[in-house]
Amino acid sequence: MAISYWRRRDRYYRLLGNRCTQCNSEYYPPAYLCRRCGSESLVDVEMPTTGQILTYTILREVMSGFEGQQPIVIGIVQLDNGVKVLGQIVDTPLDALKIGCRVRLVFRKIRDESNVGQIYYGYKFTALC
Amino acid sequence: MARVIISSVGYTRVGDHWDKSILDLAVEAARKALKPYPNIRPEVIIVGNMFSSQSSKQEHLGALLASALNLTGTPAFKVEAACASGGVAFNVAYSKVRSGEVSSALVVGVEKMRDLDVSEASLALSMAESAEYTQFMGASFLSLNGMLARLYMETYNVSRSELSAFPAIAHTNAATAEHAQFRKAISVEDVSRSPLVSDPLRLLDCAPLGDGAAALLLTSEEFNGDDESMVEVLSSKISTDIFSIYERDDMLRFNATKDAASKAFSEAGISVEDVDVLEVHDAFSVSAALSVEAMGFSKEGEGAKDAARGLYALKGRYPALTFGGLKGRGHPVGATGLYQIAELWLQLKGRGNVNQVEGCRIGVAQNIGGVDTTSVVSVLARR
Amino acid sequence: MGSNPAMKTPKDAAIAGYGVYIPRYRLPSEEVARIWRGGEEAPLIKKAVAALDEDITTMAVEAARRALKMAEVKELGAIFVGTETKPYAVKPTSTIVAQALAQHKVLASDLEFACKAGTEALQLILALIGSGMIESGLAIGVDTAQGRPGDDLEFTAASAAAAYILSKRDGDSIAVVEGASSYVSDTTDFWRRAGQPYPRHLSRFTGEPAYFHHIQSAVKNLFAEFGYKPSDFKYAVFHQPNPRFPVEVALRLGFNLEQIKPGLLNPYVGNPYAANSLLGLAAVLDEAHVNDLILLCSFGSGAGSDALSIRVLDGVEVKRRKAQNKVMDMLKAAVDIDYATYAKLRGKIVG
Ligand SMILES: [Zn+2]
Repeated sequence: MAISYWRRRDRYYRLLGNRCTQCNSEYYPPAYLCRRCGSESLVDVEMPTTGQILTYTILREVMSGFEGQQPIVIGIVQLDNGVKVLGQIVDTPLDALKIGCRVRLVFRKIRDESNVGQIYYGYKFTALC
Repeated sequence: MARVIISSVGYTRVGDHWDKSILDLAVEAARKALKPYPNIRPEVIIVGNMFSSQSSKQEHLGALLASALNLTGTPAFKVEAACASGGVAFNVAYSKVRSGEVSSALVVGVEKMRDLDVSEASLALSMAESAEYTQFMGASFLSLNGMLARLYMETYNVSRSELSAFPAIAHTNAATAEHAQFRKAISVEDVSRSPLVSDPLRLLDCAPLGDGAAALLLTSEEFNGDDESMVEVLSSKISTDIFSIYERDDMLRFNATKDAASKAFSEAGISVEDVDVLEVHDAFSVSAALSVEAMGFSKEGEGAKDAARGLYALKGRYPALTFGGLKGRGHPVGATGLYQIAELWLQLKGRGNVNQVEGCRIGVAQNIGGVDTTSVVSVLARR
Repeated sequence: MGSNPAMKTPKDAAIAGYGVYIPRYRLPSEEVARIWRGGEEAPLIKKAVAALDEDITTMAVEAARRALKMAEVKELGAIFVGTETKPYAVKPTSTIVAQALAQHKVLASDLEFACKAGTEALQLILALIGSGMIESGLAIGVDTAQGRPGDDLEFTAASAAAAYILSKRDGDSIAVVEGASSYVSDTTDFWRRAGQPYPRHLSRFTGEPAYFHHIQSAVKNLFAEFGYKPSDFKYAVFHQPNPRFPVEVALRLGFNLEQIKPGLLNPYVGNPYAANSLLGLAAVLDEAHVNDLILLCSFGSGAGSDALSIRVLDGVEVKRRKAQNKVMDMLKAAVDIDYATYAKLRGKIVG
């Protein structure tokens, strides 16, 4: 986990996706090949930091590694460039959540290995509604 | 090309097998499948399994099983495609017999889930999705389906009770299925009032965790001097979609299932109307609904509504989940695709007892991995 | 003491942007009193509480991103994070901040001096720019302060971050540090031993010999060295561990309540340690006018104070329009929580 996290830290910290240099399609997670035009030429680019909720769920039983965080809200957010990103939605009262809510990117802890292991940071979203 | 016959089937009951290991389960199902044909030594053994490395710290299941069955020398290996592992293992075995490479194949699906606690099992299941961009964020497989269910209900104006129809059908049928995990009927209201687990999904929208193994002996035609009617595999097709739902343009389209079904139906020379009995991948109420829509049994947005109208009940136009489906029979992940085929075999052989679909000739099984990222659709016929 | 030469702050280095982050949750002190004091009357404080998934790193990044956006600086030469609540005892937080900001060619370090590590970070960045070693740098004061459950500290120990980008002075600069004076002594009024989750303190001893002595000494030295008097200042921001101390020290030094009120956030935030006085400064900069003079004086246990005189520059109006979150906005976004929620958010319930 520690090394696979390190490898992707720019993705997680900065929502660094990529863009096709041929047709300008943008991707997060970054694409290996452009899904629209098939181009192999893609360059890293930061995604916009605002968007809106397309769908969400309140997960009441969490996976191993996320103990103590429940319930967690997970959403699929459409960023302002049209790219869809999955992430947790935090600091939002559960009864205020709605499809269509505007959200903003925040930097948070994703996992914390119980005071002994590493802390994994990354993006989440907070609703502006 | 050889015609491929399902000569026999074997399976364990699905549930909590505290006293049985993953190998115990696989051996039990395999021996039941091999028993009616003591003279057939399968020429290949294929094991469908998703996460034995997680649940049992065991890999190399092919040779492990071959050795236990005194079948050393036989080529044996594991096939993995998340929850579609069983269906894909079946497809591989089918292809080998069909091509004439072998004239008999033993295919065994097995999963040991109850050795894991719920949070560990949830992590294991999430390995069907992107470790880097889905699992890392804390999004379990359940949560993806929760999001899908919300989008489905919102987009197509599906009510809570309509969403509850598939689980209710599953349990009605499971109540009288000997091998089912939950032999208990539940009502639409029971589903709608069960505890929320990943809104809007409730506990009874979701298939349970359970241990189980199912096995099939596939042979080419000449082995079957049986006086009963034979069950032939008419086609089996696998397709895949863009890996994660959030990378897809339309998250509510099960493209892999649509593609696999269209190819499988075409090769089998059937259309939707010819199907007499149907096993769909109802890991969640919403996945059952999207599956029947993708295969063309229901129109877009009408899957859950059609279930509520009775279309998929045992006495409906397209009887589905006839022994309980994933929800009622249980969903020992890597075995699920093979339970589906074994159940169609029971139906087509006329051995369904109280769950029998009278006069059925054509059966379809659909087994998916991930959120319809891999889909296997197979068509069986009574000859 | 007064005979020492005054600190020569660089006149060509200035504040180019600032950003604060105050977490959304507030624990009213009545809640602490309800649980631990049988509902006895409590000081009127709502302290800022970080969420379950926040720590000094996440708050530092949030504040730094806001400061960078305001400053419109592309490249940083140094990043210092002043804090006493590092999640890693060994492993810098400053490198995580650097990575999140995509700044790699930087001198990066974490500083600890109880509640005054933030003003230290700011002065070190000033010095690096003044010496010509770097063009721009980032100073952050941040803490997720924790008091032992039931201790007096629990009423106030809070979470927040304040980040300042300093850069070569130009027409867009927000403020310049005119003068600085620091004062330290070996005074152990409050401490936390390595490996311990909660600090210890000597209660009343944290007042006169610690807080008051060091702040008064630093400010008096600053006045003596630069010829200031209290009326020269439009604003004064003192370290504010509780609502009383900053008022008391201001009055003793000859300031009035009007001067300290805009930067007095303790009742709304509590004491976010290294972010404390820097947060007050941000609130003042949110409303200050060109040429206003601001006194900033931190205090860190152990003990010491940094007194700074800060002159507001022409760029303040333009830059403020680019600011994403004013301190007041973050205060308004607050949501009160109960003690049980606080215990969950701050890891006081161990499963
Ligand atoms: Zn392209």
